[in-house]
Amino acid sequence: MAADLTADTELTAGGPGGADVDAYRQRVRAFIAERGLPMDREGVRVPESAAQERQIRDWLRALYEAGYLGAGWPVEWGGQAGHLPVHDLVVMEELIRGDAYRPLDQVMLAAHAVIAFGSDEQKRELLPRIRAGEHIWCQLFSEPGAGSDLAALRTRAEPDAAGETFTVTGQKIWSTDAQWSDMGLLLARTDPTAERHAGITAFVVPMGLPGVDVRPIREMTGHAEFCEVFLDGLQLGRQHVLGEVNGGWKVVTSGLASERAFVGANAIQLERLFQDLVALARTARLPDGTPALAHEDIQAKLAAALTRVEEVRLIVRDTVERILVEAEHPSDGPVAKLAYTETNVALSELALEIIASAVSIDDDGAQVADRWQHNFLWGRALTISGGASEIMRGLIGRQLLGLPRA
Amino acid sequence: MLAELGLPAFCVPEALDGFGLRVDVAASAAAELGAALHASPFAGLTASAHLLAHCAGNPQAEQVLAGVLAGERVCAFGYLGAGDQVARLVDGAPDADALVLLNRARGEFLLLEDPADWTADSRRHGFDLTRGCADVTPAAGRGHLLRPSPEAARRAVDLYELLLAADAVGGVRRMLDRTITYAGQRRTFGKPIGGYQAVQHRLAEHTVRARGMALLVTEAARLLSAEPTAADAARQARRCVATASLSVSSGAPHLLHDLLQLTGAIGFTWEYGLHYYERRAHQDARLAANPRHAQRSLAEVEGWTDGS
Repeated sequence: MAADLTADTELTAGGPGGADVDAYRQRVRAFIAERGLPMDREGVRVPESAAQERQIRDWLRALYEAGYLGAGWPVEWGGQAGHLPVHDLVVMEELIRGDAYRPLDQVMLAAHAVIAFGSDEQKRELLPRIRAGEHIWCQLFSEPGAGSDLAALRTRAEPDAAGETFTVTGQKIWSTDAQWSDMGLLLARTDPTAERHAGITAFVVPMGLPGVDVRPIREMTGHAEFCEVFLDGLQLGRQHVLGEVNGGWKVVTSGLASERAFVGANAIQLERLFQDLVALARTARLPDGTPALAHEDIQAKLAAALTRVEEVRLIVRDTVERILVEAEHPSDGPVAKLAYTETNVALSELALEIIASAVSIDDDGAQVADRWQHNFLWGRALTISGGASEIMRGLIGRQLLGLPRA
Repeated sequence: MLAELGLPAFCVPEALDGFGLRVDVAASAAAELGAALHASPFAGLTASAHLLAHCAGNPQAEQVLAGVLAGERVCAFGYLGAGDQVARLVDGAPDADALVLLNRARGEFLLLEDPADWTADSRRHGFDLTRGCADVTPAAGRGHLLRPSPEAARRAVDLYELLLAADAVGGVRRMLDRTITYAGQRRTFGKPIGGYQAVQHRLAEHTVRARGMALLVTEAARLLSAEPTAADAARQARRCVATASLSVSSGAPHLLHDLLQLTGAIGFTWEYGLHYYERRAHQDARLAANPRHAQRSLAEVEGWTDGS
């Protein structure tokens, strides 16, 4: 059983950083309330106009300038002395709480990899542009034949005889933000004879180069967040290699403790969603004119959903506490992801059940209902991406329970 | 034996030779007792001891408490029915020599300190084979009314419900560990059954769920132990206990029943013993009228029943 845990939802006075964290949280909250760029729909990150793209880039730059992003970077690249991983978690939690646009891969994916594996020249070239909102990044990892099993990727980056230039041929898919990204972090096979993890190299790809063709994929939500990226004869040089040739697996599998701790922000997300669910049940009227919330059967379902939300909240808090003291178990991430994403789906299924049972929903409620209908569809992205639930169950089975590979 | 270890004293003030209010330790102990299928009525004993310790100046309460702490007496806990003045489902009643019974309608606690003052009928309560249980009918006009502080009265009820949930969590964890070990050893079609996704993935799901239940119990215990400084401390405690109780009382029986399926035919035998845990988890839920009681309780503290 967990030892003496403190405070409720968030890590506060008793957690790492002590009372300073509370003060930090208040500052972040005020900053977001004043300047935050609203995020209308969960999972919709791609700008719909040039003006909106400007707003997003400005907002991301503002977060860096205020020291709320990138504070954990080395001081010479803009980081701050005295930074704690818990600060990054607080920022992410408050962005969710404030319904503000949250940066993910766009300005965070590449930063850690460049800091940890980039040459001095790459750092000089790339890091300031990330901070300035000038470079938006995307992943070029998954392929039609390599999703959860990423190491099965087949895109070739064929070196010339001198090993100075690489010709890239292949197809990438599910690249979020690729249609407006300036840079891509590419995984490609440089040595097809090596063991499958060993022959992969990470590259920095300017998305405007000839041979890069981006095609957005319209998803079931109606939005186009993901893209296919066709690479045909793309020429890259040594300056584009991140880390060592054939050392790409290490580049993408290492992660900052603070970024792993972002899993903690998911708990806030679920709590907000649950409030939304109750709001929906309050405003949705059944055929007899009474609100759904007035009925015991709906209350019973909400109570069951609440226990699941609370379970996830505590599982995530437990995990984050271990991450922040670098004492996590390899299965902690999979446990938290499985619990969060599946509970998210369960909540949206209940929301749709309530909407379907109601004959009228007032104007305020209609917005909530609209959000839920979107979430219902979007929620499945989370149980598939970043390792499907089935992969998570297998990881838990092997790493935590010690069962053989299925 | 329990008293030698100090177990009934976890929620008795230090001034009365107890440990203060260590609900966290009591919950850990309850889980161990559940895992071991121990026969004691630990939840009721702890709730009664807490209540008796907060009835200042009541000589009968003091006497029974002293006996409990010395390991000389067993005090069980239960609820008096609304109409017929029968306390149904009193865990440990067949072997108890004192009873604390809550009359919910009146908000009164009745202390019976002489077994001659009640009759116990255990004929209908044979499903849980690991603990004794009976319906109790107090003799008319017997017993003493207790006047505990409202805070202690509330907490005794919370303690009872939470420790029953902790008991079931202990059983779930013990049987889950056992099933995982078994799934890694038992082979079929040339490999361990735990190597098949149909088995492995369900065990992974159960592991996540069991962790959630255990963390809810731990969190509720932490909140119950804390000094109630915040204005809504009682509400927070009730919310947390109800959440833990609802999660465990609806989850544990289902989880254990699926472990039986994953264990296969050997799990269906009397000797394998999984059935003891299923019976006990069911009884843990029933003693607190859960999951429905916790469900209604949660709906109330969340303000869903206000009609607004």
